[in-house]
Amino acid sequence: MGRETRAAVGDYEHLIVERHGPVGWLVNNRPDQLNAMNARMRDEFADAWRELDDDDAVRVIVHTGNGRAFQTGVDVAEIASDGVGMQRYRQSVENFDLHFTSWQQRVWKPVITAVNGICAGGGFHWVADADIVICASDAQFFDPHVSIGQVVSIEAIGLMRKMPVEAVMRMAFVGRYERLSAERAYELGMVSEVVDPPDELRARAQELAETIARNSPAAMAATKRALWGALELGLTDACRAGAAELVSMWGHPDQDEGPAAFADKREPRWQT
Amino acid sequence: MEGHSPLVSYSTLEVRREGHVGWLVFDRPDRRNAMDATMLAELESAWRELDDDPVVRVIVNTGNGDAFQTGLDVAQLARDPEALREQSRRTKRAELKFTAWHNEVWKPVIAAVNGICAGGGLHFVADADIVIASSNATFLDPHVSIGQVTAYEAIALVRKSPMEPICRMAFTGRHERVDAARARQLGILSEVVESPDELRARAQELAETIARNSPAAMAATKRALWGALELGLTDACRAGAHELMSMWGHPDQTEGPAAWAEKREPQWVTTSI
Repeated sequence: MGRETRAAVGDYEHLIVERHGPVGWLVNNRPDQLNAMNARMRDEFADAWRELDDDDAVRVIVHTGNGRAFQTGVDVAEIASDGVGMQRYRQSVENFDLHFTSWQQRVWKPVITAVNGICAGGGFHWVADADIVICASDAQFFDPHVSIGQVVSIEAIGLMRKMPVEAVMRMAFVGRYERLSAERAYELGMVSEVVDPPDELRARAQELAETIARNSPAAMAATKRALWGALELGLTDACRAGAAELVSMWGHPDQDEGPAAFADKREPRWQT
Repeated sequence: MEGHSPLVSYSTLEVRREGHVGWLVFDRPDRRNAMDATMLAELESAWRELDDDPVVRVIVNTGNGDAFQTGLDVAQLARDPEALREQSRRTKRAELKFTAWHNEVWKPVIAAVNGICAGGGLHFVADADIVIASSNATFLDPHVSIGQVTAYEAIALVRKSPMEPICRMAFTGRHERVDAARARQLGILSEVVESPDELRARAQELAETIARNSPAAMAATKRALWGALELGLTDACRAGAHELMSMWGHPDQTEGPAAWAEKREPQWVTTSI
């Protein structure tokens, strides 16, 4: 991308964390395992989201994967081979105390998921929990949980609140025997952009993120809280909670700077 | 379009009737229909007037000029913040009164988006029952580009359409627009009228079609469907069951099948609801 890359603060084995200008990148990096999430990667996600959210220089975060898959969920090979199995996750799932997506980590910066290939099963967590999703034209979506005797739950519950329900149900029950194309995902509003050719996905994600980074960080954080809050409450209560977010910006310097910059035809200097 | 003279006089809106269809038209074309304090107050009166008029069965909401609606008049806000103090108070208390939903209008409302719909203009898309648009309509939400928060309008939209495109609109701000064709594909609206000049005629036609249905049944249906956005599924069905039963024994329930059998238009009960 021809931009400077600062060394990551954290020490990651299965993720790559980078900065390109105002954009923080979180890249799944177990390409040989189709970026399946083993226990270590699961822990690294928690640190990486926190690191990027806490960095004032980062205004927008892009999440993508290395190799031909975006994400394929829990590493079934690890589960099957190490004698511990899914039991290692029992307590965190029972308590719904998860920390591997931006929503779970309460990241209030805009997050763009850029799906670079196969997105299967648990991979949907990062589609469901992102604000914006774009994908490469060769991306494919499917949910094989029930085909291996697992339950589909958390990621599909999130998706059902965000897109037409029938499509989510169909993926849940057809399991590994059918795939949803990038084109259909676009039609359904699951993603807002299909990038063709696929190898331009990252450049386009960077560009989109830079566009978003031109807007007020404080206003975007309050907006994000208001919109995700809408999924928690009835419409009237959600509007009430949203009103509090809206009013929270009144008197903020960005509210003078925004119109002033617009009038002067210059880029606003937002408070960071 | 001929119609009765309005009961109340408005300076920022046009309110008129055509048959059973009430028209509420934003009329500050040189300000791209932005809402100043006067328009905000007049909207409350206009929705009430049309909802209370038993002759009106369906309401169409559109704009004069190039724009549909571009939200709060920031020029007035900058020049005369005092004028908008009452609105600020209402925003804070979540007591807004400028859309049909805010004003508990239980007649079907069609938004006919005739051009740019920006920022607070999305309130009228979010809070309408049916949305159609001319092919040159565009949608954008510039709030965060001027340091403002997006709340109400997008909160309702994420409950009514796929969420991702609404989030994208909220975060790209003034730097990106959604066109009418994509908005239709996403189900934000149901019909694009190719020639902008024909939008109003098509809206009138659609409204007249809807006006052929039982006003009482439509009001109960509207309460049931908007109520669904307030509650979990089972509770919403329970509340909806009450709306459903509220029509049992209503004369329209005998008139409907009778008219159908006799191949004539039904004579619905039209007392104010």
